[in-house]
Amino acid sequence: MYLKTLHLKHFRNYSDQRVEFCAPKTILVGDNAQGKSNLLESVELLATLKSHRTSRDRDLIQDGEAWGQISAALERELGVAEMALILRNGSRRTAVLNGEKLRRQMDFLGTLNAVQFSSLDLDLVRSGPGERRIWVDTLLMQLEPVYAYILQQYTTVLKQRNALLRQWGENSTASHTTQLAIWDAQLATLGSRVIRRRSRVLKRLTPIAQTWHTAISGHTEELQIRYAPSVPLTEGDPALVQQAFLDKIQQRAIAEQHQHTTLVGPHRDDIDFTINDTPARQYGSQGQQRTLVLALKLAELKLIESVVGEPPLLLLDDVLAELDLSRQNQLLDAIQDRYQTLITTTHLGSFDAQWLNSSQILQVKAGVVTP
Amino acid sequence: MLKRPELEVKALAQALMEAKLQVGHCSVCFHLSADPVCEICRAVNRENQTICVVADSRDVIALEKTREYRGKYHVLGGLISPMDGIGPEQLNISSLVHRVSKEDIHEAILAISPSIEGDTTTLYVGQLLKPFTKVTRIAFGLPMGGDLEYADEVTLARALEGRRELD
Repeated sequence: MYLKTLHLKHFRNYSDQRVEFCAPKTILVGDNAQGKSNLLESVELLATLKSHRTSRDRDLIQDGEAWGQISAALERELGVAEMALILRNGSRRTAVLNGEKLRRQMDFLGTLNAVQFSSLDLDLVRSGPGERRIWVDTLLMQLEPVYAYILQQYTTVLKQRNALLRQWGENSTASHTTQLAIWDAQLATLGSRVIRRRSRVLKRLTPIAQTWHTAISGHTEELQIRYAPSVPLTEGDPALVQQAFLDKIQQRAIAEQHQHTTLVGPHRDDIDFTINDTPARQYGSQGQQRTLVLALKLAELKLIESVVGEPPLLLLDDVLAELDLSRQNQLLDAIQDRYQTLITTTHLGSFDAQWLNSSQILQVKAGVVTP
Repeated sequence: MLKRPELEVKALAQALMEAKLQVGHCSVCFHLSADPVCEICRAVNRENQTICVVADSRDVIALEKTREYRGKYHVLGGLISPMDGIGPEQLNISSLVHRVSKEDIHEAILAISPSIEGDTTTLYVGQLLKPFTKVTRIAFGLPMGGDLEYADEVTLARALEGRRELD
């Protein structure tokens, strides 16, 4: 897929900016806080309906404006898709696909696919489990858009169940117990769906990531990705996963009543990375962790491509400068002209000359993009 | 509104005031009613042995439009939602259980929209009513005139779940 044009209106620090992409690689160059990452963020929103920088739409709308809009023309094998996402201050978003207003925003997902690789991702191995869950969830939403719906439903059940647990007190009635049992069942049903999908995607991603990891590390290291769900995962029958889930809730029932919060479920999952059988989090050097993240990102590209049938976009936000020359070259070799790539940087100095020649270079200054 | 004749606007204003002052809830089924007991509950030509349980009075109006259903109703007045501080005690559930246990009810149809809160309410009410009567829930699936090919995955999954043997 190829992003032909992007039009930002009242989005972050852009008042009204059209950008045409005319090469497989576009380098956005400019000082800090000029709007380079904002532009990549707008593409991220089209791909995932989420921003990794904020969860509030009013942060995305230009100061003093009531609404903002991201529009794009995306070339896919079957034709050009016209996408628009309208953000409103204090009201719901509107998603428009080929001139048609979508009744459900979920139907927007899966049109534009993109892999985001920012300097924040470099901490994926060391950061908390929450970051790793967001990582796997974002990938899943692009591979199977219905996952966005499942995850949202799970989150609703979790919030409702936590609210009920907070009301738990000395005078809890039988009705409380009956209600909790129903929320338990809903949590287990939806939670197992989340767990099964996370397990499935990691299983598919692992061999691809291992291949890349071996190539980048020079055949010396072996990567393992292990899903660590909060509920023991049994293979096969979904009913078994649900039963294991309910058993685990039963085990933690007393603790939950004391802590007034849900202690079992995919909101407490983690993903462990090991290199040569040692946990990458504790023992991996910074270089090793970067190799690992690079391998993961390349694996994401390949996996999305094989599932969707078209190469996704790659968004490199301030990350190239953080990689050493050999890793930079490996990344560039891997993407070549296959994946349309948008790159932000403060200096062109670190780029290979051959690279600069084949790229479209755009200057970004105070919310204005110029060739 | 400004272009309408004055009399028409006056009549509308009066109707709105009357509605505000007179409309309350039926003491039996909690549907909107100007009288202590609503027309549906008073109707002699409706089946007394079936109760359709809905979340809101608007659902009664929607179901009445079908002219398919000839039984009685019970309006819960909302859905269970701990986040909003709404538990079973805040809804018209105990009155429903009372009705079903005391009257000769052969079937309770739960017609509550499918959502997390809707499903929880359906399951909760269902459990309380089961000792007294047969409990059913309405089917969810494809809209009339809807093409299978264009149905979204969630609706399709629901429709598959609720499939029936061809008779």
